[in-house]
Amino acid sequence: MKDITLKIREIAARLLQSGQVDIFMGWEKGQEEYQTRPFFARQEEDVEKLIFNEYSIHNLSNDLLKYRDGQEKIGIVVKGCDSRGIIRLIQDKQIERERLYIVGVACPGMKDPLQAVKDNSGFFPTAASAGLAKKCGDCIEPNPVIYDELIGDKQSPRAGEERFKLVKDIEDMSVDQRYQFFEDIFSRCIRCYACRQVCVACNCRTCIFDEMKPQWVGRETSISDNFMYHLVRASHMAGRCIECGECERVCPVNIPLMLINQKLIKDVNAFFGPYEAGIGYVEGVKPPLSSYQENDPDDFL
Amino acid sequence: MQILSKSKLEEALNQLGKNAELFVPLARGEESGFYPWSSYQAGSDRLMLDALNVLLPPKSVVFPQTERMYSFTSTGPAVEIKETFESPQPRIIFGLRACDAAAIACFDDVFLTMGFIDSFYQARRDNTTIVAHACYEPGANCFCEAMGVDPTEPVNADVIIRDAGEVYIWESKSSKGEKLTAALGSLLENKEAAAPGLKPFQQQANYEGVAEKLKGMFEDPIWEQLAATCQTCGICTYVCPSCYCFDIQVKSWGEEGYRFRCYDSCMYSEYTQMAGGHNPRGNERERFRNRFLHKLQFFSERYGKPLCTGCGRCIVACPAGINIVEIINNIKEADTSVRA
Ligand code: SF4
Ligand code: SF4
Ligand code: SF4
Ligand code: SF4
Ligand code: SF4
Repeated sequence: MKDITLKIREIAARLLQSGQVDIFMGWEKGQEEYQTRPFFARQEEDVEKLIFNEYSIHNLSNDLLKYRDGQEKIGIVVKGCDSRGIIRLIQDKQIERERLYIVGVACPGMKDPLQAVKDNSGFFPTAASAGLAKKCGDCIEPNPVIYDELIGDKQSPRAGEERFKLVKDIEDMSVDQRYQFFEDIFSRCIRCYACRQVCVACNCRTCIFDEMKPQWVGRETSISDNFMYHLVRASHMAGRCIECGECERVCPVNIPLMLINQKLIKDVNAFFGPYEAGIGYVEGVKPPLSSYQENDPDDFL
Repeated sequence: MQILSKSKLEEALNQLGKNAELFVPLARGEESGFYPWSSYQAGSDRLMLDALNVLLPPKSVVFPQTERMYSFTSTGPAVEIKETFESPQPRIIFGLRACDAAAIACFDDVFLTMGFIDSFYQARRDNTTIVAHACYEPGANCFCEAMGVDPTEPVNADVIIRDAGEVYIWESKSSKGEKLTAALGSLLENKEAAAPGLKPFQQQANYEGVAEKLKGMFEDPIWEQLAATCQTCGICTYVCPSCYCFDIQVKSWGEEGYRFRCYDSCMYSEYTQMAGGHNPRGNERERFRNRFLHKLQFFSERYGKPLCTGCGRCIVACPAGINIVEIINNIKEADTSVRA
């Protein structure tokens, strides 16, 4: 990964120096080796801080939203999943392809800095040191799907036959068991909305959860409001989640949000597929649930 | 000296739980926080008294995330208050650390002083007994001492317990504490035991003079830099033991309804959204700056102490790796003389 770091610095220096980009988004080291975090270089002298290591998990594509109304040209490093996030943003017309210089890194699989910090926090029973992040075990595309420059050797997908194993387990439950399962996980939601905030597909300018007139979803941490929040959030992800796993990773109470996203991925694929969100950019093509045709079936209405 | 043998801990908790709702630090599945002892499931739950702390702070005992305030009926312009939901039943928080006890002291300042008393908070607070757990071994992200909190002498405690190996030293500090001592009766023994010495902190925050210095830094370019990667997700304020912002909202159906308050966060844009459409803290730099100014400057101007007690939770939970110790030190070291 040292080589990748050096290569990223070299590219960043070149782009910043030549004025080809105004900002270069990558990662830097935090206090500890495992605390790798996002970092945006603006000058050539910032470039030395950039690193790429096994903890460079943070999906930077979401940060592009901060610049969606600006003119800045942006360099950005992406792994496989992150690059799908960029397609999400381009398809959703949130950022223009021309403003981006995309440095793709074929991803060897990442560890989760948040997990590592938690393991060392003293706030949880001591856990065996975590290996590869869960989302990386479910990865269908570790290689960037859109880029201007590619670093590293091509990697193979890590998701196996068992990709939807957990989803199937839940589908096999009785209705009551399933209700109980969801009640258990949603009742612990503290409604911080971090899962929305870190999601690249959550790019609406005014989020339904922030609307006050009318207020669509109540703000109580009660089972009914929590269910409502998660139902609405989930349905907005259908055909749009690019499986970067950030929502689940950041959730302070570890709600298995990717399980819900995976159910939607599985269903969208079964009903409208074959389809994987953000896997290839074709100009003008929209995700299945983002377009409407007169002859769409509506007998369920 | 009174001691509570660790072998009698469960018995003691059962005893204390008889006359009050007793909250203890637990690891429960994926969760880590304060939960009622009455809901403790041996086998699946783990009592976290031997750990440093838990992720979700005990603030919810005195200041719940969602709290009903009153119910009403409204017919035309007339509104009639039906019931007020003040909650005076006795509660005990057992085993909270000095940082969290100090955070409740900040709440006391906010909700009970300066000419306004929040009756909902007061009802809970007056009936809550605090059994604080002295710390001798700061964790990887602790920096309470730098924020004026002595981890070995928790403020606001009705009882302090000190881990002395096989036993806890039991020190009653108030009349509320005496009641617990009496309730435990012969479970407490008279014996000598020695508390360990305080180990060094791994985090070094230098807060001295920072509140003063921040007065001149509202427009400093440092905020742009510090906030660059913040996702304004709000996790930091939700896990913080001392953040107390809330919103008051309503649920109503027909003529009936109730008002409740629920946590809010200055990291959200909706927090400062005004009816006319303007938002004075429209971007993440402004929201981020507010959080740190409130914690490190404004609160200290009003109450003489910072609104951060150094528990380290925001460091642990921030998805962008933002670290308040680094921020404090960056502010401390920032050369503001060269700036406009
Ligand atoms: S991040 Fe977790 S706790 Fe926060 S709103 Fe999302 S699911 Fe709930
Ligand atoms: S911050 Fe201080 S009081 Fe809190 S857990 Fe750490 S050492 Fe103990
Ligand atoms: S937890 Fe971190 S990213 Fe989220 S609002 Fe707080 S500082 Fe910003
Ligand atoms: S600001 Fe961070 S360190 Fe300070 S009290 Fe809050 S959560 Fe703890
Ligand atoms: S930091 Fe923000 S959320 Fe926390 S108490 Fe201050 S204004 Fe409220």
